[in-house]
Amino acid sequence: MAAAKNIDELSPAHKQVASHLQGKFGKRLLETSSFRGDLTYVVSPQDWLEVLTYCRDAEELRFDRLDSLLGNHFPEREDQPFEVIAHLVSIPHTTRIRIKTRLAEGETLPTVTGVWPSASFDERETWEMFGVVFEGHPNLTRLLTVPDFDGYPLRKDFPLQGRVGGRIRWNFKGEI
Amino acid sequence: MSAPLEEKVEQRTRPTLEELKERKARNRQRVSDNAEVMTISMGPHHPSTHGVFRMDLDLDGEVIVDVRPEVGNLHRGMEKLAESKTYHQIIPLTDRLHYVVSFSQNEGYCEAVEKLMGIEVPERAKYIRSMCHEMCRIANHIIWLGFLVMDLGAITFQQITFREREYIMDLWEMLTGARLTHSFARIGGVAKDIPDGFREKMAAALEVIPKRMAEYDRLIRNNRIFLARGKDVGIFTSEDCAAWRVTGPTLRAAGCPRDLRKDEPFAAYDQLDFNVCVEYEADVIARYVLRMNEIYESIKIIKQCLDEMPDGPVIAEDAFHVIPPKKDVLRSSAAMIQDFVQVFRGPQVPKGEVYKAVETSQGELAFYIVSDGSPKPQRLRITTPCFYHCQAMQPLLQGEMLADIVGIFCGVDVCLGSCDR
Repeated sequence: MAAAKNIDELSPAHKQVASHLQGKFGKRLLETSSFRGDLTYVVSPQDWLEVLTYCRDAEELRFDRLDSLLGNHFPEREDQPFEVIAHLVSIPHTTRIRIKTRLAEGETLPTVTGVWPSASFDERETWEMFGVVFEGHPNLTRLLTVPDFDGYPLRKDFPLQGRVGGRIRWNFKGEI
Repeated sequence: MSAPLEEKVEQRTRPTLEELKERKARNRQRVSDNAEVMTISMGPHHPSTHGVFRMDLDLDGEVIVDVRPEVGNLHRGMEKLAESKTYHQIIPLTDRLHYVVSFSQNEGYCEAVEKLMGIEVPERAKYIRSMCHEMCRIANHIIWLGFLVMDLGAITFQQITFREREYIMDLWEMLTGARLTHSFARIGGVAKDIPDGFREKMAAALEVIPKRMAEYDRLIRNNRIFLARGKDVGIFTSEDCAAWRVTGPTLRAAGCPRDLRKDEPFAAYDQLDFNVCVEYEADVIARYVLRMNEIYESIKIIKQCLDEMPDGPVIAEDAFHVIPPKKDVLRSSAAMIQDFVQVFRGPQVPKGEVYKAVETSQGELAFYIVSDGSPKPQRLRITTPCFYHCQAMQPLLQGEMLADIVGIFCGVDVCLGSCDR
């Protein structure tokens, strides 16, 4: 990953955000990087909710909108193969920021639906596509795939073609 | 000709956020405590859902207590599919997201890839892109109006709006050779320069469309049914919009002048002179007035683009990332090698991740691309506005009447192809 040296190339608005977050969280921001003007922070899953809530509420930051929340899978990383990525937007300051966290297989993440209700669909999609469980989510059910779909399609080990998981069982009796 | 829409805007009030909240609370029907809640399913084949969208409605009489939107009937696994294709091959996939405004989706994807690869797009291509964006916006807003009025009960009107959209479709046909899914944007520019006779045809279309808009205005603006079914219906304040990630015309109709064309300029928008339209009443009528004003702004932008467009190439000269123009491929061996390499192996991409959002006619469309250095993306996430608009049906519809669902649903402009990806 690009190191913190690229921080100097940031726009003035991003520099303010960076210095403010660095002052507040310090060592708890595990990694800081910037690529093509996008500012990225990596936090631990324990700090996830706190950092995101702070980003929304702090007067200097005011990231009042969650632009998207998504997952990613890196099978080559042995201990923490999953990433959950949140993109935040500040409408008053017109700045953007990306906050990531890395998860091990089976590790859960607290939901941010209490901070931004729009995260609900995003978290459902991330759960059904990657199998990342969001604790406290009000309705963590399959969103885009059929309710009895088997497997997590966007994981890298899920095949692109074939009949794995996609079979619809017509006699399915579960909750829809 | 009736008076232009600007006059009407002046007469409209500018309620504050508190007033809007109060108005919204007052409009919402009170659900009695011991109400007998009935659950019915609306869709997925309901004609007003503009695609396959299902809602589970909890009803107390005619008042909506709760809504559970269900999407996914059109899920095609585009993000998984994109991971197996090179960056050039993904462009036709993005067409199929929203088939009314295909170019905006193409262009948004190409902007993201160009940001990842660090490609500088030629000026002329930027102007063509801006022009095409506005063509999309005009076509989409006109067709949206037709569907809105159809949902509110006047079916003939929809046929009239399709007539005007045809002008834009003919222009697309002339420019790209296709009418619906034209894959016109390329990484590093656009596929073709504008053909001979295009300017004249465009000028003729831009002459006709405002006249027809005045005609629509005369038909609808003072229509008692339209006003009664749209005024103070489906109020969604700017606070709600931020919480539920509702963007585009719905956000601007709630008094928030957020437009990525101004805030984070892409294509040639930083060199063009235009206004961001804002409305303040946050209801269905405000969304209608806002979209109609946006069409006038779009017409202004297209005229500027055609007048100020500089000469030059329409695609970047970059041997590592760009497919060269076809006429060069057949004449020079260097271009032929470049074409082979690009088609069979794909572009050379640096490692990294980018996020790029553009303003389409529905709202903010964003692409998140992770590259691991190979010619295929490691992950492509398409963040479409319609996905969140479908989700926002729950707060939008709670407390409203059953019969207003169709108007509100159409009012925020949802395309299910774009929602389900």
